[in-house]
Amino acid sequence: MSSTTHPGNIQASYIQLSNISQSFALNNTKVTLFEQLNLTIKQGQSYAIMGPSGAGKSSLLMLMSGLEQPSSGRGVYVKGDLKNKHESSLETLRPDIGFIFQQFHLLPELTALNNVALPLKLRGDKKAINKAKVMLEKVGLQDRINHNPNELSGGEQQRVAIARALVFEPRFIFADEPTGNLDEKSAREIANILLNCCKDSNAALIMVTHSQVLANKAEHVYHLSHNGLIKVKGNNCDVLPVELAC
Amino acid sequence: MLSMSTSLLENTKLAWQFYRQEYHLPQQKLLRWTQAILLIFMLALTQSSFSVQQYLTQNLQGLLGADAQISQRQPFTSQQFNDLSAQVEQLVATQQIKINFSHQDSWQYISLKAVADNYPLQGELLTATSLAGNTEQSLSGPKQGEIWFDSRLFASFNLKIGDTVEISKQEFTFTKLLKHEPDRLMEGHNVAMRAMINIGDMEKLNFSENLINYRYLLALDARQIPSLQEWQQQHLPAAQLVHKQGNHPLALFWQRTENFIGLASIILFFMAAIAIEQIALKHQNKEQYFSAVCMSLGASKSTGIVVSIVKWCFSLLLLLPVALLAAAACHWLMIHYLTDSFPNLQWQWHYALSLKTLVFISSIFALFYLPVWYSLLNSSVGKLFNQAKNTASNLGQKLVTVAVLVIVVLAYSDNALLTMMLVTAMMVTILLILLLSWLVLTLGEKLTKNLSGLLPFVFFMMKQRLVSKSTQILGVGLSAFLLLFTLMLMHDLGKTMSSYQRQHDGNLMVSKATNDQLSYLKNWASENNISIRQNKSYMHAKLIEINKQSLAEFNDKPSESLATFSREIRMHWNNQLPSNNRLLSGTWWQVDSENWQQISVEQEVLTDMGLSLSDELTFVIAGRRYDFTITASHEFKPGNGSITFWVQMPTAALAHIQANHYSMASLEVSEQQQPLLAELWQKFPTLRMVSLQQMTERFDNILAMITKVISGFSAIIILLAGIVILASINAVEANEQKKNSIIMSFGFNRATCLKLNIIEWLITAMIAAGGAIVGTYLAGVLIYQSQFSLPYQPDFIWLVSTLFIILACVISLGVYASRKSLNSSIRQLMAE
Ligand SMILES: Nc1ncnc2c1ncn2[C@@H]1O[C@H](COP(=O)(O)OP(=O)(O)O)[C@@H](O)[C@H]1O
Ligand SMILES: [Mg+2]
Repeated sequence: MSSTTHPGNIQASYIQLSNISQSFALNNTKVTLFEQLNLTIKQGQSYAIMGPSGAGKSSLLMLMSGLEQPSSGRGVYVKGDLKNKHESSLETLRPDIGFIFQQFHLLPELTALNNVALPLKLRGDKKAINKAKVMLEKVGLQDRINHNPNELSGGEQQRVAIARALVFEPRFIFADEPTGNLDEKSAREIANILLNCCKDSNAALIMVTHSQVLANKAEHVYHLSHNGLIKVKGNNCDVLPVELAC
Repeated sequence: MLSMSTSLLENTKLAWQFYRQEYHLPQQKLLRWTQAILLIFMLALTQSSFSVQQYLTQNLQGLLGADAQISQRQPFTSQQFNDLSAQVEQLVATQQIKINFSHQDSWQYISLKAVADNYPLQGELLTATSLAGNTEQSLSGPKQGEIWFDSRLFASFNLKIGDTVEISKQEFTFTKLLKHEPDRLMEGHNVAMRAMINIGDMEKLNFSENLINYRYLLALDARQIPSLQEWQQQHLPAAQLVHKQGNHPLALFWQRTENFIGLASIILFFMAAIAIEQIALKHQNKEQYFSAVCMSLGASKSTGIVVSIVKWCFSLLLLLPVALLAAAACHWLMIHYLTDSFPNLQWQWHYALSLKTLVFISSIFALFYLPVWYSLLNSSVGKLFNQAKNTASNLGQKLVTVAVLVIVVLAYSDNALLTMMLVTAMMVTILLILLLSWLVLTLGEKLTKNLSGLLPFVFFMMKQRLVSKSTQILGVGLSAFLLLFTLMLMHDLGKTMSSYQRQHDGNLMVSKATNDQLSYLKNWASENNISIRQNKSYMHAKLIEINKQSLAEFNDKPSESLATFSREIRMHWNNQLPSNNRLLSGTWWQVDSENWQQISVEQEVLTDMGLSLSDELTFVIAGRRYDFTITASHEFKPGNGSITFWVQMPTAALAHIQANHYSMASLEVSEQQQPLLAELWQKFPTLRMVSLQQMTERFDNILAMITKVISGFSAIIILLAGIVILASINAVEANEQKKNSIIMSFGFNRATCLKLNIIEWLITAMIAAGGAIVGTYLAGVLIYQSQFSLPYQPDFIWLVSTLFIILACVISLGVYASRKSLNSSIRQLMAE
């Protein structure tokens, strides 16, 4: 379904959010999560979004992936092709996205291998099992492929989840606090695997995290709060990264 | 000690609080419904069946009026009378005849009973002098010249004490109102109005001997019964012996009903078991989580269990008042319907019995909840928060549950054979469904591997989740099996009933007319311009041996046919197959056949009795034995009149058998001609006539009663089947929801999830259907003949189409109920 991407050969796809706001009615009062955000996500690059709980980070992920609609503003998906670019709504993003969650969310009855093979099977890929094996090797789990999730540690489960999200080669990976449930050591391992694998697959990685260590590994870092979305690392920084100085 | 009781109090408070909180959760609702339905049904059922059983036994013990009774069509010879008198402690002769009694301008078909001077033998003979007057006990029957009438007859004829009535030109004085005859039930189920006279008057009335039923009431010791039976077999083979220890004439009817009710309760039990089992699965996780929270807060392991148990008790206790009230109401309704068949049956609540039922059902409920408590016992904080669900390890636990369940049900049901048959069919169904699940899913996965589309994925997923899937398939399959079997049994019982409903032509049936009566009738009819539609001759014959074996030896299964053959039947003769009969096997005799000792038997009777062509039947006709060979079988063909006979012989046999000939006839009498009938009856009081209204009314009543029972029972089973399916969906709902969200996180939309869901339900339904149809077939083979005396001829088109309807409902219900799990989103998977 998703064609293999060859960097250099084609123009990169990207997601562009312009002036988007999100608010909703709660007990007859209007609650605004954020207003007038502008953000561009490019395929092949990594982004970290930080910020306090309840700031709307997860909501922002939902908007970016086209699964929820903003109250106002516009999001477009610009799909890079061999020759030219198509511009379309964010809903068309569906087949090109993958998710990683804090709680791993593997199917408990399935082995690691079958969990990873799942998205390929669903797409009718006949080489699903082989591709899944390769992917599990990449995340360093070649010895545990026939184990059930409850026989794996948290870090190992998250590695399976990463393999599963990447195996069908989506162009964008959304990760919501991927190391939130892990100890420091596993978190560091996972961070490396996650970033490397996304780079290898030329997928964009957009992760929400509370971990400064993880955020530092991303090419772009944003901070979301009631003050809006502020870029703290990367090209054209809005402000000097105060936190980084510490 | 003190701390323990306070902690119990604390725990109780805690349990109450949690009970209130969980009250509106869907699985709690389902659990409550299942438990309530089961409680109500079982309570009402045990109360009603106990009432009827008690009624029957009381009647048998107190109201038989004798220890034994011999009845036959001829009077005893004096030799026989002396023989018998020597054997028993006491003997009372009675005679009974059905006559048309007319007085002034009205008439009624009544049962006239003549009793000897030493009547009654046992029990109370109760009389009164007016309808509202005091009932008193009479120590002997009417004297010569006196007649007693029962209340109904008294009321319908507007009689007064002291009135003179006339029967066959003899005058009688009406002296007493007959309230109760102690030997009434020995006579069988008979709804005719009654009158009683002295046996001395019976001789003067000069009725033909063979129209009278001679009944001898005997007082004897139970140990004398075998020798009495032997004497009867030897000297009076055609007579009927009824004794206290034996079967009441209503016993067969009751046994069928009882077996049916027994089967119903067993089926309901298993249904409820499946439902509760599916619900308990979900409770387990909740309770475990709660227990873990308690423990993490420093409470002991037992706190969790105690709170869980107390909470369970709350839910049951609070259900009781409602269940008891509803059960009492249902019980009242059932008794109300049954009074048609069992007059004077009273509504009564049996407290000890209801307590026993309650304890029994509660222990069943607890049994299904046991795994939950057991899992709490084996839990630890770490294990619980790890969310490690022990799915595979509880197979042993399930087997133990099933074994205990079977033992409990066996202990409860008084028909162990029936229970075992159903359990066997269920076990086979379970094994088959497990095997089918494994086979279909494995093969399905293998064979569709190279196909594209969603089908291979569904097979893959189902195969991977074989354990949890097969529990669901089992739940659906077993309820489909139980439902299908119930419907089939009801369908067939109903069909048996309606096949009795024959087309009638003419609105007046003469069921017994002597030759004199018939020729008079013919004249009378032509004079009055009344048409005789049909007219067929017969003689009385009593079957005594089959292939030289006595009836009892040959066939020990109670059946309608056997019950009828224990009395005299009507033997018809002809040269050609009657136009309202169809030949089913064998050949009909030739007109000029030398061989007169051949008969044709009605097909259903043949199957029912386990007879086949070339079997030899021995009949006693007018006191002499005749052997016949079965050479053909026939069945009723509608459209050419309703008078048909079970047993028919060639006309040539008449030359060899000396016996009275009678006729059955049907007439069409218009409304205006009805008064002419009084004249006819005045002349022939013994002429047996039944008007069509009377006949169909009785039949319609029975049919209506059965229909009511059937529909009520189906409704309960359908309700429970629905609950089982909802429960089995509810049990996996959380998992399904998560699965759908995960699938959507791979870049798929809701429509894909819906399609996956539908395919999955289709496969589930298909496997369940396979198991259900085999289970139903097997249960039919095992249960039909042995428990209901019904031949088992499954109608596969009916079965398959019914199954198809059931499964269509299952799939729709399944897809509809899983809509909630489709309403999932990736948002729910994200960290809050
Ligand atoms: N559609 C909605 N209706 C009501 N409340 C919402 C809705 N979407 C998000 N919220 C609320 O907005 C807040 C932000 O949520 P979320 O995006 O999960 O924040 P974060 O991921 O940064 O912790 C939360 O309090 C959440 O309950
Ligand atoms: Mg969040």
